[in-house]
Amino acid sequence: MSITGLDLKIQGLTVVYGGVTALNDVHITVPSGGFVSVLGANGAGKTTLVRSITSLLYLHKGRVRRGGIELGGKSILGKKGPDIVKAGVAQVPEGRKLFPNLTVKENLLCGAASRKDISGIDESLEQNLELFSQLRPLLNQTAGLLSGGEQQMVAVGRALMSQPALLICDELSLGLAPKIVHRLFELLTEINETRGTSILVIEQNASLALQHANDAYVLELGRVLMEGTAAELRGNPMVQELYLGGGGEAHTSYAAIERPGRSRPLEHGQRPPVAES
Amino acid sequence: MLLAFGNFTADPSVNLQLLIGGLALGAIYAVVALGFVLVYKSTDVLNLAHGEFLMLGAYFALTFLISENLNFFLGVFVLLLVMLVFGLLVHYGIMRRMVGQGFFAIVLITLGIATIIRALLLIFYGPTERARLDLLPQGSFEIGGATVRYVDLIIFAVVALCVLLFFLFFKYTRLGLHMRAVADDIEAAAAMGIDPDKVYAMTWAAAMVMAGVGGLLFGHVTGAIDRSIEAIGLRAFPAAVVGGLTSLGGSIVGGLVVGVIEQFANGHLGTKWREPVAFSVMFVVLLVRPTGLWGRKDLERV
Repeated sequence: MSITGLDLKIQGLTVVYGGVTALNDVHITVPSGGFVSVLGANGAGKTTLVRSITSLLYLHKGRVRRGGIELGGKSILGKKGPDIVKAGVAQVPEGRKLFPNLTVKENLLCGAASRKDISGIDESLEQNLELFSQLRPLLNQTAGLLSGGEQQMVAVGRALMSQPALLICDELSLGLAPKIVHRLFELLTEINETRGTSILVIEQNASLALQHANDAYVLELGRVLMEGTAAELRGNPMVQELYLGGGGEAHTSYAAIERPGRSRPLEHGQRPPVAES
Repeated sequence: MLLAFGNFTADPSVNLQLLIGGLALGAIYAVVALGFVLVYKSTDVLNLAHGEFLMLGAYFALTFLISENLNFFLGVFVLLLVMLVFGLLVHYGIMRRMVGQGFFAIVLITLGIATIIRALLLIFYGPTERARLDLLPQGSFEIGGATVRYVDLIIFAVVALCVLLFFLFFKYTRLGLHMRAVADDIEAAAAMGIDPDKVYAMTWAAAMVMAGVGGLLFGHVTGAIDRSIEAIGLRAFPAAVVGGLTSLGGSIVGGLVVGVIEQFANGHLGTKWREPVAFSVMFVVLLVRPTGLWGRKDLERV
């Protein structure tokens, strides 16, 4: 039985690495059973957002300065990684991050690390293989030798092995052929609709993300720049120009338009970033 | 030809004797190298205190098996249990705080641990040397003009058994799988709900237990037990590096290869050549294959 009916609420989240602010007063909600995408260019703070939810900031010397993250009304901020997975959050990390020396089957089993119901694990494995049928003949292959698309399927399957209420996919499309990315997003939609799993995708590929999601947020330099339903954002000229490859002058970021000559907005009273000694 | 000088002899029984001695020495190296590899593979720490861990094992063997005169199997059980507790102590007391720190800082911490162990052994056991252990059968038999000691055969069997147990553990248990996952990618493992902290604690405990086994075995073949036996850690280092530092099987092969080469250098060239030759083998292997013979780069599996 997977846990369903848990919504994710991020409120006023501010995250710093040393003296550098990576996220600034971010509010994001993923309703139970929802499909939400967060868009943004490199350095927008997308990966920091994922790390904050999954409590992996400490591995990168980052820390949450303000704000809260709640799952189903309970704070998960500062909980240990295993407890977050137990609470119902699973992730497909950026760059897939499979265990390259382990087999496909072993990779999938690692996804069930937090589960106590040993007997249910085989059942989940079987469910996954029905969903990703092309992985079945590859079960005993070393994961590092698979193609990028196959690896991404293992990564999604691995995350699903914990039977999450919320599945977070960080840059699912990175480095993959459009056809494969398309197929992966279709599978996500299927998981969302048939299992009721909430989905949060963090994406650079805005057009695909906006096609499949219900709601979307645009992150820019650590702040939420825009939010709305996916349809609203698809119709927004700014989004079209910056993220959907619309016509006009090529701008690399919103900041480049609004604040020429400044690469990063400084918070009031914040020190400019200095190299740590 | 290097072997052409010194007191080189072609007498087959002498060479057979050197081979047997080399394999016996190599088995000891393999036990030590296994300890290096366990820790390095799973926690990315180069543990320079492993020789001291082994010395601790040898001294505890003296306490539990000789002074306390416990039944052999009970004594070994207590010894390994105490070593396990010390392993957990090393992790929770010291190494845990070092996770995420620089590689070199952590290596220095292990040197600190080595110093502390040496000091504690001096305080609690005093400076006098003790006779080596004599609990395993002491006899020997002849084969092809060479003498084989029972104790060497037992060491061999124990090492083989340890490797087999580790292999089965890593391949077929959940904790073993999680340990390999952490070794592969700690962040991904943490993201899957595997607790790296627990895995690291188990790793240090396993390394300490292996050092307990190593101390017990080495305590039977060393000249005497004193505070100089920690040097076995440094002497086994080429074995671990030749094997690749990340491969359990590699540590065994590395141990045997270095042991045999050392023994031949010892027999044909004289004792002073033993360590230079061993380290030369290490340098040559590193020049040709920087990851060692079975290093991680080959998608090697345990």
